[in-house]
Amino acid sequence: MALKQSRASALVKAGIGPDAGLNPVVASPMIDIRHVQKRFAIRGGGQTVVLENISLSIAANQFVSIVGRSGCGKTTLLNIIAGLDAASSGEVLIAGQRVVGPGQGQGMVFQQHSLFPWLTALENVAFGARSLPLGKAEKISRARTLLELVGLEGSAGKYPREMSGGMQQRVAIARALALDPDILLMDEPFGALDELTRIEMQQELLRIWEARRKTVVFITHSIGEALTLSDRVILLAPHPGRIAHDITIELPRPRSRTDRHFNAIYEQVWRGLAS
Amino acid sequence: MRQQLVQAFIALLMIAVILLGVELGVREEYLKAYEFPPASRIVQGFIELTTVGFPTGVTIWSHIFVTVIRILKGYIAAMAIAIPLGMLIGAVPVLDKMTVPLIVFFRSVATLSLLPLVIVWFGAGELTKVILIAYGCFWVMLSNVIAGVKYVDPALIRAARAFKVNGWTLYREVILPAALPRMFAGARVALGVGFMVIVGAEMIGTIQGLGALIMEARSFYRSEITVIGMLVIGILGYLITSGLAALERLLLPWGGGSSEAA
Repeated sequence: MALKQSRASALVKAGIGPDAGLNPVVASPMIDIRHVQKRFAIRGGGQTVVLENISLSIAANQFVSIVGRSGCGKTTLLNIIAGLDAASSGEVLIAGQRVVGPGQGQGMVFQQHSLFPWLTALENVAFGARSLPLGKAEKISRARTLLELVGLEGSAGKYPREMSGGMQQRVAIARALALDPDILLMDEPFGALDELTRIEMQQELLRIWEARRKTVVFITHSIGEALTLSDRVILLAPHPGRIAHDITIELPRPRSRTDRHFNAIYEQVWRGLAS
Repeated sequence: MRQQLVQAFIALLMIAVILLGVELGVREEYLKAYEFPPASRIVQGFIELTTVGFPTGVTIWSHIFVTVIRILKGYIAAMAIAIPLGMLIGAVPVLDKMTVPLIVFFRSVATLSLLPLVIVWFGAGELTKVILIAYGCFWVMLSNVIAGVKYVDPALIRAARAFKVNGWTLYREVILPAALPRMFAGARVALGVGFMVIVGAEMIGTIQGLGALIMEARSFYRSEITVIGMLVIGILGYLITSGLAALERLLLPWGGGSSEAA
């Protein structure tokens, strides 16, 4: 199984420009994953390898999806980038800095039910800025701006249980942006939503990404979702988790699922996952 | 709506039929009044309790007052120790592991079985009654506070950590609020335990209080007074529990109040 690398074209796509494209290695990547391995001890001795020698460079402002079956270590890899989990060996660099914990430019959007139920939408977003040395009023005004960005200025006072799943995930995205991170790490954020809401949220996410220009690492089960959103799709193979394919998507946005090229790439990814 | 009315009507009709049956049964001397106190006697007994009192001089209002004060004393003492202690034990896994067997053991000991021992230690006065109520409420509350703190959804803790919230801030701003619904549920159950313990606690050394009223009525074959005592305890328990539920809706408007206690 050949590892397909097409970083140069990805950098050009990401707006580094043809000049930078002449020597893309010079532009240091936003996220640099170097030989990351993750092992867990099993009960009664022995180990299981969840991630085996993962190396991956992601350029600034690139939208990268990681697709793979359950148990291939997608979420573990994301948690390691987030600084919530430590690699057993290897390292992750963000803008050249070794990741030792959260808050080094990572913003995190989790699967459903990660909002604090006792806080309103506005307070949840303000909580995202909890660790900043700002006054309460400043945090609230920052939170208000972010709620506007995700189109929820009218629901600032609502508690999570009073909001639909789609609205909750919008709040989660706004909260993730509260530390003004360079990177948005998203762990199957739309996985629990119904199909229509999901498509709406994908468009919404692209709009926010255009507005705020972040580097995005997006985990999903859905090939269609990955192809709709990403500049680049990484396929992880399980047991142990490793990169099977690295596919650059050069289709212009907005992308149509009925487009011939879209379907051709879908086929390619599907075969990559099935093999 | 209409169906509910019909159901309520049928339920009321059933109660009316039973009350009327007992009434007629006693009047026709098929039933003995001290075994099945008829409604008319219960009403008479209640009037006696509000005017003359039973025993003479102690009205139902002072019985209620004395009982409520005893329950509140024991309950508040139990809360005051159980809440901070549970918050500590729940946050420190080592403490939790050490205390689990003790808590399960003491929780399983029926409170009233301690009565003889507590009398030996503290006499048959007020303190003994309050201690028994406090004991019953304490273990229920303690185990619920510990569980509330210990079983906070890990997804919430992970989310907080992703925003660099750790240590004391994490405990105060995430773990405690997340544990509140469970604590409230524990507080409700503990109050119910207080009402269960009170009758036994008031069995000795007093003629005041609803438990004493019930025991006293027994010695005089005044079953209707016993029934009144039961009814009043039930109504009090219901009112105070509803008050706690309303307080919870007020303090936790985000709707965490669906949590069940154990």
